Amino acid sequence: MRFLKWLRASEWSPYVAGALLGLLAVLALLFTDHLLSGSGGFENIGGSIVKAVSPAAADNVYWKFVQRPGISWSVMVLLGVMAGALVSSLLGRTFKWRLVSDDQWKQNFGPAIWKRWLALFLGAILLEYGAGIAGGCTSGLAISGGLQLTPSAFLFMGGMFASGIPTAMILYRKRY
Amino acid sequence: MVHYIPALIVGFFFGWLLQKAGLTKYSKIVNVFRFRDMGVLKFMMSALVVGMVGVYFLKDLGLVKLIGTQPTYIVGNLVGGLIFGVGMAGAGF
Repeated sequence: MRFLKWLRASEWSPYVAGALLGLLAVLALLFTDHLLSGSGGFENIGGSIVKAVSPAAADNVYWKFVQRPGISWSVMVLLGVMAGALVSSLLGRTFKWRLVSDDQWKQNFGPAIWKRWLALFLGAILLEYGAGIAGGCTSGLAISGGLQLTPSAFLFMGGMFASGIPTAMILYRKRY
Repeated sequence: MVHYIPALIVGFFFGWLLQKAGLTKYSKIVNVFRFRDMGVLKFMMSALVVGMVGVYFLKDLGLVKLIGTQPTYIVGNLVGGLIFGVGMAGAGF
């Protein structure tokens, strides 16, 4: 069947996948009164850990009012994302255990695993910190906010590309 | 408690679509900043266009209320975006 074949394809057109994501967001808003979110979940988990280790350190405005510790909507979405991506990659037969995740990275920065992991670690700190300041990530702010036409989403997207492009230029230098 | 299952379901399909669009790959994310592969933008903009039309259509029918995400706070949204972009181009996620 063509439908099953399509389901097992390793990759879909980004237009199709994007349009389906838009549909998913609309359905989520209709049935659950929530939209897509991701990065906040890490802050909820982080808050829970800090609260368990040192309650005094968790006693601040951010964790009390902005991102409360605990298992939130975003945490469950994150778990779902991992499960969904796993099933999708298994069905598409692209699932593979990897230490350095990308050929392009190896070509440009060499095969050293620690470099990739360091970039991931530092990059992820910046991602999460930036998302914390702006109030959301690409999904929670740019997409969920953008489809409600909130100005914050478009400011965020502008900022994201305004710094992402020069960062890529600096990292790739001549090979940009 | 009640909304854990819907959240898992939404997340499941979200992850599925991200994987199918290739957004789990380092090269896909970084290459949008190098203008070599605009997959990320194609994906995001398609989602936005469909989402905007759908959400405002349902809103006009009175079926949904906009939940609003973040209040506009120009410096915060912009500076957060700038920091986020550096991390995104560096880590590739």
